[in-house]
Amino acid sequence: MNTLSRRDALRLFGLAAGAAGASALVACAPDASGGAPAAGGDAAAKTFSFTSWSLNEEAQKAAVQSIVDAYATANKVTIKTASFPYNEYLNQITLKLRGGQLSGAIQLDVAWLGALAAMGRLTDLGAQAAKGGYTEAAIKSGQLGGKQYGLPWTTGSIGLIGNKEILEKAGVKEMPVTVEEFEEALRKVKALGGGVVPYAAATKAAQLKDILPWMRTFGSPLLEGDTITIGDEGSVAAVEWYKKLYDDKLIAPDVDRFDARALFSQGKAAFYDDAIIARGVVSAQAADKSLTEKMVPLARPVLKAGDAPQALLWGHVIVVVEGEGSQAASDFALHATSDTATTATFFEKVKMPPTTTAGLADPKVSGDTFTTEWTEKITKTASQNPFWRYAGYGQIETAIAEQVQAVLVGQSPAKDALAKAAETAKPLQK
Amino acid sequence: MSVTLPRSASMSRGATGRRYRRPDRTRSRVAAWTAVTVIGLFGMLPVYWLVATAFTPDDRAFSFPPSLIPTEITFDHFTRLAENEHLFRYLVNSVIVSVVTAALSVVVSAYMAYAFSKFRYRGRRSLMHLVLASQMFPQAVLLITLYAVFSATGLLGGYTALVLSFTTFTLPLCVWMLKGIFDTVPDSLMEAASIDGASRWRTLHTVVLPLAGPGMVAAGLFAFVRAWNDFIFALTLTDPERQTLPPGLVHTYLGEFQTAWPDLMAASLVVSLPVVAAFMFLQRYLVGGLTAGAVKG
Repeated sequence: MNTLSRRDALRLFGLAAGAAGASALVACAPDASGGAPAAGGDAAAKTFSFTSWSLNEEAQKAAVQSIVDAYATANKVTIKTASFPYNEYLNQITLKLRGGQLSGAIQLDVAWLGALAAMGRLTDLGAQAAKGGYTEAAIKSGQLGGKQYGLPWTTGSIGLIGNKEILEKAGVKEMPVTVEEFEEALRKVKALGGGVVPYAAATKAAQLKDILPWMRTFGSPLLEGDTITIGDEGSVAAVEWYKKLYDDKLIAPDVDRFDARALFSQGKAAFYDDAIIARGVVSAQAADKSLTEKMVPLARPVLKAGDAPQALLWGHVIVVVEGEGSQAASDFALHATSDTATTATFFEKVKMPPTTTAGLADPKVSGDTFTTEWTEKITKTASQNPFWRYAGYGQIETAIAEQVQAVLVGQSPAKDALAKAAETAKPLQK
Repeated sequence: MSVTLPRSASMSRGATGRRYRRPDRTRSRVAAWTAVTVIGLFGMLPVYWLVATAFTPDDRAFSFPPSLIPTEITFDHFTRLAENEHLFRYLVNSVIVSVVTAALSVVVSAYMAYAFSKFRYRGRRSLMHLVLASQMFPQAVLLITLYAVFSATGLLGGYTALVLSFTTFTLPLCVWMLKGIFDTVPDSLMEAASIDGASRWRTLHTVVLPLAGPGMVAAGLFAFVRAWNDFIFALTLTDPERQTLPPGLVHTYLGEFQTAWPDLMAASLVVSLPVVAAFMFLQRYLVGGLTAGAVKG
């Protein structure tokens, strides 16, 4: 066995470390393109970046890229584009924004606004918003604490969709208005048999946040000030009702949005919850190409006639990071979201509803019955999830979802489970 | 001439000298083979599902409940795959990053393992455990730290950041794997080389490393696969032009509202072929390398 002095050992380790560095640097060419420009810098610069997940989504990328190209040409600006997958998007932009690697305009899901605004790097777009002609519901989707952080690009909602053909077969002549009528309709569909799930509601924990609008329907505000009201009479009643649907096989176990779409597109579900652009997704999956004609948007049933139907707001906003190119990026955000010709053409291509009064009135949009019905019946009364204001809203939703699932599988009574959910969620309100 | 036949494992001789089958042993063998088969089939099910979905038409792929055996076959997803120029770029990126990571990991870990195995110095054992302990950090913590470091050094966005970060994960196991192999190389060989006038450097390169060949191939394969499969570091530390296959496939096929499962499965099937081929070609080294340090020679 050889012996080695400490000096020899250090030399050997030094050699190893040197080899690591040298090999990597020699083997890998340095990044020539560079990342996005660092935050800060010249706000009046004519070069800015636009980060958007839609730039990489098959159904939307061409339409989004054409908006970018047209604006860049017309205004003699340079727009660098970047994209991350939707499911990783928030993590990526948070990390890059914190690291000073992200600037310009950024597409955001309305649910993420609170998390990103909390970083204190977003430009106030109040002046642009005043010029846009946005609808009341749309303008609110970009606001937080009275400040306009985002300009609304598309505003819709997540609501109930019914299959007219199945409902007619089951003898449901009118769309249900109250919870009681809804349950009755579900029982009629169940009586049809044939493996049809009456309501493909979310029952997997990953998507059980869908129960929040039902809790509101039963009278729970979810959040009052900063006090979580989950566990109150309304939320308990909603979960107990959901459990009854589960036990009576009116909703099915282990269903998330993906499963629900699959069931609906195969004509094996009478109702399910989805966003307004679900029509395109469902038709792409369906063997029955006439399914889209059978899809009916309906207002979420209410506890008693006359109550306001509950729906969760859904949509995209464009925010702008303070600093390098922020002025040009703000103008681009205003153009992309409010120019009537641009938004109407965008709707024609991707079916994402515009956010301005003029855009909604454009014949390309107003001539689409499904969209106008959806806007009138569902989006009109849709509201934000109150937990979105917290950066940890995702964990709060998970805490609630896990307890609701415990109720569904009979592990815990609703009252105890929801009290536990509220307790778990409390420290996450930051 | 008499020939002694090997006795079957499940056969024995009784007091009368007659052969009989031992029922307990047979039963336990059947049970063991059944268990192994069930576990094997269970393990292969995701692979089967991947292959079946890759050949299933879009509207059938989403049928509910899903069908285990495809009733209709299509090659459309593979045709679309061939038309997607981005995937080739992701593939090239993956090959560059994985090969460089594997090479770098083997080179660095060979020197480190040699130092751990063949020399005695104060703090050696603590240093070895420290190297292994670095494997225990949560990846999310490392990701943020590495992101900050690469951002500050201007390496973010390129291959370098990715290769260096992957190497930090692969080194500990590679070092421990190779140390076990170097331990089996007899010191007398090195002493003989020394008597013949070889320097330490020459002894390492001409005597020790060639003997550790299978182990180095195994370590390299481990590092290659680690780099090939990573998703989150490849997504975060590189710009889109240099992303590898895992984030590239997610980027291409998973969206806000739609997941192109059949296309994704077809792409996954095709891109996994190089790794499968590499394993088949190098498997004899892999088995030899992984077990080389098991019994000290």
